[in-house]
Amino acid sequence: MPGRRPDEQLLACIAAGDAEALGDLHDAYGRTVFAVVYRMLSSPDAAEEVVQDVFHSVWRRAGDYQRERGAVRTWLLAIARNAAIDWRRTKGKRMEREVELDAVASRPSESSVEDTVLMTLRAERVRDGVRALPAEQRDVLALAFWGGLTQTEIAERTGTPLGTVKSRVRLGMEKLRQLLAEAAT
Amino acid sequence: MTPHPTDDLAAFAIGALDRPDAARVEDHLAACAACRTEVASFDEVAWGIAELAPMNDGAADLRGRVVARASRQRAVASSRSSGFGALGRLFSFRVPVAVPLALAVLFGVSVAGLQGARSEADAYGRALAGVAAGTVVSLAPTPGSDVRGSLVLTEGGDPYLILRLPAPPAGKTWEAWVIRGERPIPAGISGTRSGVVTLVLSENVRPGDVVALTLENAGGVPLPQGPVVLQGRT
Repeated sequence: MPGRRPDEQLLACIAAGDAEALGDLHDAYGRTVFAVVYRMLSSPDAAEEVVQDVFHSVWRRAGDYQRERGAVRTWLLAIARNAAIDWRRTKGKRMEREVELDAVASRPSESSVEDTVLMTLRAERVRDGVRALPAEQRDVLALAFWGGLTQTEIAERTGTPLGTVKSRVRLGMEKLRQLLAEAAT
Repeated sequence: MTPHPTDDLAAFAIGALDRPDAARVEDHLAACAACRTEVASFDEVAWGIAELAPMNDGAADLRGRVVARASRQRAVASSRSSGFGALGRLFSFRVPVAVPLALAVLFGVSVAGLQGARSEADAYGRALAGVAAGTVVSLAPTPGSDVRGSLVLTEGGDPYLILRLPAPPAGKTWEAWVIRGERPIPAGISGTRSGVVTLVLSENVRPGDVVALTLENAGGVPLPQGPVVLQGRT
């Protein structure tokens, strides 16, 4: 997204009390954060509530961010997923329906064409990679990422040995990483 | 340095580790550049998966609400001296009742179906007794106030209030505050709810903070202006 301040600079401004910097961070990642939370909660009202709380957490905790622990967007994504998981555990009914890692839906978006194209291309690569994964790897990644389950919880829920679940998560992630790296070269 | 948690790094990147394992990996990452690089590569994958979510911008004013909420707190922070001294002094006594309760299951507190002051009092009592874990701090009502309330501090969770509220007058709402030093921080509004309600605070409560409830204009205000109905210090 050209022309905007780097993420870490945004976060420093947020930590200093710059509310517009928080808006800029929302401009950069709000759509994806909302989409993830909405995907996890299946409720637009709940997603809006959680996303507001997510960015409020960023507002309050920006000074705690440590770059050596990961990129800003990774930090933001972790906050969002944890918030959605907490919401589901405390307020929402557990989703029993099957989750799929590469579910696609066409929903309206007001983002720029350029952003949408870039994101779509990247998503297509990941989606292709996901489709190429063995089903058992795809399933554990879906349960972990969208279902918010830990490897231990996945093992208990699916009756699969924990070691097997761990292997599937690792192998699935490594394959997706390899595919993304190849697509970038 | 601890052994490289190589096999756990992918799971760490998508939040699939149990908490103790995640903490162990975090500690290791703080001292290991090689593993940080490895996790960063998996973070790219995690973000790629995130972008698979069906895109939806949410409400058109979501960004505005995010910024407004932050701006509101900033306004409060920058106006410590504006008429808050009196309110701060009002809160300056200690409420000593801190009763740890480790009773059964936290049951939901509903505003629905409560009839009359007695049943509300009963419901309020049951709500307090139902706090599963944490510290309950009684909030002192201002003389003449019908509002009753307690602050519940939980391990690792958001603090919340259990309140017994009369319906606010038209155009008004009950608003919670966390007062840190001389600084009042808006911490949530009850809207038009009445009866026994829970209100999760949007601000953490630290030792020494004062928690208060005031009656304010609907939608909430950046600084407390209305009458104080409850107050207590942690």
